[in-house]
Amino acid sequence: MTTLSLSKIQKRFGAAEIIRGVDLQIGSGEFVVFVGPSGCGKSTLLRMIAGLEPISGGELSIGGKRMNEKAAAERGIAMVFQSYALYPHMSVYKNMSFGLETARMPKAEIDKRVRKAADILQISQLLDRKPKQLSGGQRQRVAIGRAIVRDPKIFLFDEPLSNLDAELRVQTRVEIARLHADIGATMIYVTHDQVEAMTLADRIVVLRAGVIEQQGTPLEIYNRPVNRFVAGFIGSPKMNFLDVRAVASGSNGLAIDLAGSAVVVPATDTPAPGEKLSLGVRPEHIRIGESRGLKLGSLTVVHVEHLGGQTIAYGRLADRQSMTVALEGQQRIAAGDVLDICTGPEHCHLFDSEGRRVDG
Amino acid sequence: MSAVAAFELKAPRDRSGLREQLAGYGFLAPWLIGFFALTLGPALASLYFSMTDYSGMSAPNWVGADNYLRIATDDPRFWTAMNVTFTFVLLSVPLKLLFALAVAVALNKGLRGLSLFRAIFYLPSLVGGSVAIAVLWRQVFAGDGLLNQALNGLFGYEGPSWISNPSYSLYTIVLLAVWQFGSAMIIFLAGLRQIPQDMYEAASIDGAGRSRQFFKITLPLLTPVIFFNAVILTIDAFKAFTSAFVISDGTGGPIDSTLFYTLYLYQEAFINFRFGYASALAWVLVLIIAFFTAMSFLTARFWVHYDD
Amino acid sequence: MVRALIYALLIAVSFIMLYPMLWMVASSFKPDNEIFTSTSLIPQDFSLDAYRRGWTGLSVGFGQMFLNSLLISVLVVIGNLFSCSMAAYAFTRLRFKGRGFWFALMLGTLMMPQHALLIPQYVMFLKLGWVNTILPLVVPKFLAIDAFFIFLMVQFFRGIPRELDEAAIMDGAGPLRIFLKVILPLSMPVLATAAVFSFIWTWDDFFAPLIYLNDIQNYTAQLALRTFVDATAQSDWGALLAMSTLTVLPIFILFILFQRLLIEGIATTGMKR
Ligand SMILES: Nc1ncnc2c1ncn2[C@@H]1O[C@H](COP(=O)(O)OP(=O)(O)OP(=O)(O)O)[C@@H](O)[C@H]1O
Ligand SMILES: [Mg+2]
Repeated sequence: MTTLSLSKIQKRFGAAEIIRGVDLQIGSGEFVVFVGPSGCGKSTLLRMIAGLEPISGGELSIGGKRMNEKAAAERGIAMVFQSYALYPHMSVYKNMSFGLETARMPKAEIDKRVRKAADILQISQLLDRKPKQLSGGQRQRVAIGRAIVRDPKIFLFDEPLSNLDAELRVQTRVEIARLHADIGATMIYVTHDQVEAMTLADRIVVLRAGVIEQQGTPLEIYNRPVNRFVAGFIGSPKMNFLDVRAVASGSNGLAIDLAGSAVVVPATDTPAPGEKLSLGVRPEHIRIGESRGLKLGSLTVVHVEHLGGQTIAYGRLADRQSMTVALEGQQRIAAGDVLDICTGPEHCHLFDSEGRRVDG
Repeated sequence: MSAVAAFELKAPRDRSGLREQLAGYGFLAPWLIGFFALTLGPALASLYFSMTDYSGMSAPNWVGADNYLRIATDDPRFWTAMNVTFTFVLLSVPLKLLFALAVAVALNKGLRGLSLFRAIFYLPSLVGGSVAIAVLWRQVFAGDGLLNQALNGLFGYEGPSWISNPSYSLYTIVLLAVWQFGSAMIIFLAGLRQIPQDMYEAASIDGAGRSRQFFKITLPLLTPVIFFNAVILTIDAFKAFTSAFVISDGTGGPIDSTLFYTLYLYQEAFINFRFGYASALAWVLVLIIAFFTAMSFLTARFWVHYDD
Repeated sequence: MVRALIYALLIAVSFIMLYPMLWMVASSFKPDNEIFTSTSLIPQDFSLDAYRRGWTGLSVGFGQMFLNSLLISVLVVIGNLFSCSMAAYAFTRLRFKGRGFWFALMLGTLMMPQHALLIPQYVMFLKLGWVNTILPLVVPKFLAIDAFFIFLMVQFFRGIPRELDEAAIMDGAGPLRIFLKVILPLSMPVLATAAVFSFIWTWDDFFAPLIYLNDIQNYTAQLALRTFVDATAQSDWGALLAMSTLTVLPIFILFILFQRLLIEGIATTGMKR
């Protein structure tokens, strides 16, 4: 069931068009993550949904009702800010009850809700403190608590974890996932962090320059990025792109010219022979020293990073195109080594000169 | 039914826009009323009065530029007032700046007791405009006042009555103004604080001595603050009133030696009830202040150092 | 060595600067003959006589004038806080048409010398029958006439994160509630600064009371002191210095209590134009 629907949503700041026609349906209880490069309009889109930013064009509806002109508080939405935006002069309790008091809820009901939320977030012992007296993680919980007490249909998060240190980030991420499972509300979450996006999302929405490039489950986006931008944006380390040329298309796939040698990759599209293409292969899908699979050439290693669980090698192919390889486990590789690298045909992504995915 | 739907389609947009407008103008209402009733209205009215013979009693008669002509050509007291005021401004402002800067630089050396000194130097600025201090000044510079007692005690010198001697009276008021250098000093101190310490470290590594550091780093980086202080102090000096009024009993005496412009304006307006003429005087003062401010901003780019 | 010299100089300068004020206070406790014979800061014969003479030296007791001053100053403080914070809130936080235009005008009034407005204002208050009441001194302050304080508050409000407003909007609060429950409670430092400055400046003000108050019943302490100079014909310096001391006493007290606030207030308005 759709609870939130954006249709042809636009945002202009003066002459600058920041959001350029976004269409998006979000189902009730879904966890949707917005990702995209800095300045692409993620926050702006979120703030329009929240009601903090007027909508320049298109329609926003929640539960089937048009919301464009409704005040933020009438939309049944709560928002968790990147800076937490806790009221510095109010106690934790007051921070959480402020919205309920504004809605003139009976005192007893307010108390019940605040204590219940505090219980869920394990901040009951902090209720009398001021935000100044809390750690970053505790502030984060209070900010979430302030959202929970209002029992909203939709939660909005704008990079809520970016001010936390690495360990706390992982911990809070897990808690947010659990919270989502517990209360089952719709959540829209903006982040820069790949791992957050992949782990939390039911659906990822990739934005660039105010338009949606692709939306889908994390694995859909990982496995079948619709264009070169999405392919490069999702996944870490970043996908490798090699310049290739189409040679001929046959029944078992497309023959391409990769640095002089012809290889065949699965593809149902049929680009004209001679067309310039881009072959994308994720670093973690490259293997070394195997005879099976698709040969990509020999890689002269320039630099190696040993991460313990993974070994990442940066190098150049014979035609000087650069390439990153991520190998499982601890490999004995050093700069200067020459590796024969290959990949499985199923891991190849082809993009045409406009960056669109070439295949079926 | 469809009428309602149509209404709902259009109305909400207006309502949310309107709500913001209403809130904005609601909160601004006191200022707006004040602006029209107490600033814009009076400004226009006084511009009009300045071209009439208004006395407050009978209706104003239009006299065109007569008042201004008289100011320029036929009013010796105006020129006296100009003379007194300009002497005061040109003496008190530079002296105040100099004192304020010198003391601020001295205090900025990381001395202990900074906040105590700062407080002591600031106090006169806070009370200096009051009648009590003007009364005190009268006593200090009277013939048998504190200064002469001290001079007599220390050097056996019999001083004149500084206040009632037209050669000195204005300078006692200049001194009173300079005595109030504290607020300018505090602004200088705040400015000095903002000069990054590493600039001095870099300079001393480059071998710059103390005085070179002062003239090549401190002073240039402080020019925006000096500029700000100079403009504010100049405007304030043109508006000086209370001390001259109290010290001269409202006359501007002895023999008009302390006839500050504002004092002359006050006399014309509220003693002689020449509202028309006084309005013209007021506008001349406004023009003078505007001219000085504009000149400062024009010359600023030749000596004020801005980062960006 | 240089340090010691600077210290000595600073101490000397501060002594010279403070001396007249200290002497004023000391002399107010001296018998009359001692005032003109001694530059000492310690009265030889401590006496409150000058205060007694001064307090009743005018046809209306000084107590009445102090009450007048107090009433006016307190009302002005309330008026300034109320009207200037509202204007500053509108300028910094609310979106409405013409905001930039009005803000520029407000900054313009900062520069506008009051002299050009004086006579029409006087005529207006005269027509309203407000002359010789405290209304001309107080009512304009409820109309945010002191742009300086708007400016001070604008600077402060700009430092309050906008996300707090937005969080409050999400919490369903309207402009009034945000103003009262979020912005004002967080603005205590600037409100206190504005309050202390407006109190002191009003208490010290001489020009406006001189023009608008004619009746000795309504005089402020400053006006009374100035009248007292004439009344004593400069013969009773003891009483004069005693009353002078009394009129600056409230300022001294406020200065001692709120020194930090005042100094920071001056420093910030000077720095952030
Ligand atoms: N109030 C505003 N006025 C003008 N332009 C704005 C305004 N707010 C945002 N923008 C512009 O809109 C674009 C999108 O901003 P937005 O904050 O939505 O980006 P973002 O995707 O959230 O970036 P980040 O990942 O850095 O947070 C930016 O180019 C920004 O400069
Ligand atoms: Mg953002």
